[in-house]
Amino acid sequence: MSSPLIKVSNLTVSTSDDNRTLVNSVSFEIAPGEAVGVVGESGSGKTLTALSLLGLLPRGVQATAGSISYDGKDLLHTDSETLRSIRGNKIAMIYQDPMTALNPVMRLGAQLIEVIESHEGQSGDATERVLTAFSDVGIPDPKRAYESYPHEFSGGMRQRVMIAMALLLSPELLIADEPTTALDVTIQQQILALVMHERRKRNMSMLWITHDLGVVANLVDRVIVMYAGRIVEVGSVKDVFTNPQHPYTAGLLASLPKASDKNRTRLVSIPGIPPKPWTVGESCAFSARCTRADDQCRTTLPLLRENSSTQAACFHLMGEKR
Amino acid sequence: MKEKTWFSYYLKSISGVIGGILVLVMFTISILSALGITPHDPLIQDPVNALQGPSAQYWFGTDQFGRDILSRCMDGMRRSMLVSVVAVSIATLVGVILGIVGGYFGKFLDGFVVRFSDVIFAFPAILLALAIVNSLGNSWIDTSLAIAVVYTPIFIRVARGPVLSVKEMDYVKAVRILGFSTPKVLFSHILPNVLPPIVIQVALSMSWAILTESGLSFLGLGTQPPDASLGLMVSEAQSLAAFAWWTLAFPSLFITIAVVGLNLVGDGLRDSLDPARRSS
Amino acid sequence: MTLAITDVTKKYKIRTTGAQVNALNGVTIVLPAKQTLGIVGESGCGKSTLARMITGLEQPTAGTVTWNNEEIFDKAKNMLSSKHSKIQLVFQDPYSSLNPRQKIGEALSEVLTVHKLVEKSAIPARIDELLTEVGISPDLAHRYPHQLSGGQRQRVSIARALASQPDLLVLDEPVSALDVSVRAEVMNLLIDLRERLGLTYIFISHDLSMIRHISDQIAVMYLGRIVESGSWDAVLENPRHPYTRALIAAMPDHTMVGNDLYEAPLAGEVPDPAAMPSGCAFHLRCPIAVPSCAVNIQNLREVEESHLIACQEVK
Repeated sequence: MSSPLIKVSNLTVSTSDDNRTLVNSVSFEIAPGEAVGVVGESGSGKTLTALSLLGLLPRGVQATAGSISYDGKDLLHTDSETLRSIRGNKIAMIYQDPMTALNPVMRLGAQLIEVIESHEGQSGDATERVLTAFSDVGIPDPKRAYESYPHEFSGGMRQRVMIAMALLLSPELLIADEPTTALDVTIQQQILALVMHERRKRNMSMLWITHDLGVVANLVDRVIVMYAGRIVEVGSVKDVFTNPQHPYTAGLLASLPKASDKNRTRLVSIPGIPPKPWTVGESCAFSARCTRADDQCRTTLPLLRENSSTQAACFHLMGEKR
Repeated sequence: MKEKTWFSYYLKSISGVIGGILVLVMFTISILSALGITPHDPLIQDPVNALQGPSAQYWFGTDQFGRDILSRCMDGMRRSMLVSVVAVSIATLVGVILGIVGGYFGKFLDGFVVRFSDVIFAFPAILLALAIVNSLGNSWIDTSLAIAVVYTPIFIRVARGPVLSVKEMDYVKAVRILGFSTPKVLFSHILPNVLPPIVIQVALSMSWAILTESGLSFLGLGTQPPDASLGLMVSEAQSLAAFAWWTLAFPSLFITIAVVGLNLVGDGLRDSLDPARRSS
Repeated sequence: MTLAITDVTKKYKIRTTGAQVNALNGVTIVLPAKQTLGIVGESGCGKSTLARMITGLEQPTAGTVTWNNEEIFDKAKNMLSSKHSKIQLVFQDPYSSLNPRQKIGEALSEVLTVHKLVEKSAIPARIDELLTEVGISPDLAHRYPHQLSGGQRQRVSIARALASQPDLLVLDEPVSALDVSVRAEVMNLLIDLRERLGLTYIFISHDLSMIRHISDQIAVMYLGRIVESGSWDAVLENPRHPYTRALIAAMPDHTMVGNDLYEAPLAGEVPDPAAMPSGCAFHLRCPIAVPSCAVNIQNLREVEESHLIACQEVK
């Protein structure tokens, strides 16, 4: 494998005032051109992990340990000027709500021009590039879009504008934080197809955050499963989805209704709710909900370990006899 | 598990605690005065001791008729508090009911309520109060009514706004579908959820009402001599203050304590009733 | 007992622009007792408006909604009919469906008191029973909603609906706002309750996988109309309307790993309901549309037994 594009090591994110750990010792790499999915429920730390990569953690939350190495720099310990030059340029991000990324009182064309100029200075062909970017993402009338304000567009079209903006400077890595969650399924499919196409065309790396396993199944190469602030399983999407090793991943997959299940049997459910990451201490965070858990799980923290197909943080992997 | 009440959050607010102490002092003074427990009779004149500075006998000194200023301040405080409590109670009751009913039912009823409050808002508050007192009379009840009319639209506004958003909440729809009567929906499900801003408004309006009452008395309306009122005392002290500072200073201090105290209570309530401001 | 929705139309006027929005356009549904009808569609299709009509929160502009041959909305009194508590609604957002200032026990006891369903002395026991029924420990009766998880709140909402002893539950996206690992439990609960209490369900969702799991009959809505309806087998195994086919194809499916090239099944966007396309509202996005689709309004017709579609191009 070639050297990774970005390497996250032992990333830990905590609240500033009472030092509650929200993301705990998360490590992963993304290779050039690789698409990685991060799957987790609310509170699993998936969004904070993604925001750390851009130094965009919200107020009151900070990265307290670890490193994020990119292009010979540690993004956690670099000056804001360097971060700014990388953001939007080398690493771009798209969000669930495009309105948070678009300025409501500025014409769309001007907003995209601004992105180009803030990284490259005055550019004679900026307008041309913006119009091309609009048509690349399937906006029907780029000239009209150029003169429009965000509110004149539907949710799906705004998402396209945000993608055009993110891809404008040909980033090496695109971070996507549930950009299709608020969209209708037929529109979601259009956006997924668009992103897939652009990624292939540009050989761009991608980090896709979602709670919807169905969305990443056909979108990414590798998937990271997070639970209560930690990575519990990593592997190729095929291995994780068809042969999950962590009981949480297995339970989550089993709990989803399947199209192939014509008899509509009872859904397999996981009892209880995910714990707060800072309350679990040195134990397996899933042990309270796990049918395979024993005393070891409740007192010792399982680390990721290699096995037949994936890496999973569990003492009693699904593939092992109990 | 012990449930944390709003009061425990209130006690954490410094302004709330200071304001609470000041308001308690005001109430104590008013009650003492109502029971007749004042150092001297506020109305008894003692020409021999007129315009004496503060002394062991007259702590706050005496006015031009030799009346004890401390006793008169206490009596004035009682009257100001009485007017303020009565006026704000009426304004709250009428304003909140109109605001909730208008906001909930909308349409014609709401249009009427909104126009009504707009009309009252269109007049400067003190002018409107002056006009009403002029036509009603000078008793404390008339003053209270005048202030109540002026403050009613504020409560309409404070109640109506949140009702517009709360009535769209799913829990309100749920109890409507459950067939609860409209008064029950309004008073058990909507009112409790719009109460915090109203409670804060009550504290703030009481302080304004004290100022308004003082203003009316200062202008010769409201409380009439020889009765004591903080505003009237300030008015009478105008010409005396140059050589008898205590005649102006102490009534002014009482007004200040009342207004600042109630404002601080309002701040404290705002911090403790709004979950978003609670630093848990 | 039957739910009969007959030719229901709902128009709204947008106050600022004066534009008219046709939220529902001649919807007819007949649902026998103890059946579950799944209604699926995307935003603007009118599924939530329909939920408000069935529960009597709003009055249809035209048409009738009856349960047991009795109108839900008493037009004479301009209010909900007294028989109304037999139909209850469970909302999507568990964070706004419970009064934040009311303990959950109080919320339930209020329903029992208002409808005088049990003796006063028996209320505490009934509350325990209701909470147990939805899988919540009765000890939690003294908690406020904010002290419960999303899944627990949704269970309390269901318990509150059950407290009035309803026959029909309208479930408006009841699991969409819940965490993935919690959804299965709530779905299982709904299925158990249906069997134990003999309930009739209308299950509304944008998520076809949940509709597929719980429904006996399915109706697919697009811009205020039903475009396809019928039995589970008919609609899911043999979808005929091009929109239903596209919806099924667009459903993200985690069991289909590695089909990596996406092809969006439908181009274009859902039109603005305030500017409805002429003829068949779907014709602008339809892969099989012909020019006459822009003119002809499509009504539901039977293509086989208990299978209706609204499309002229499907034979």
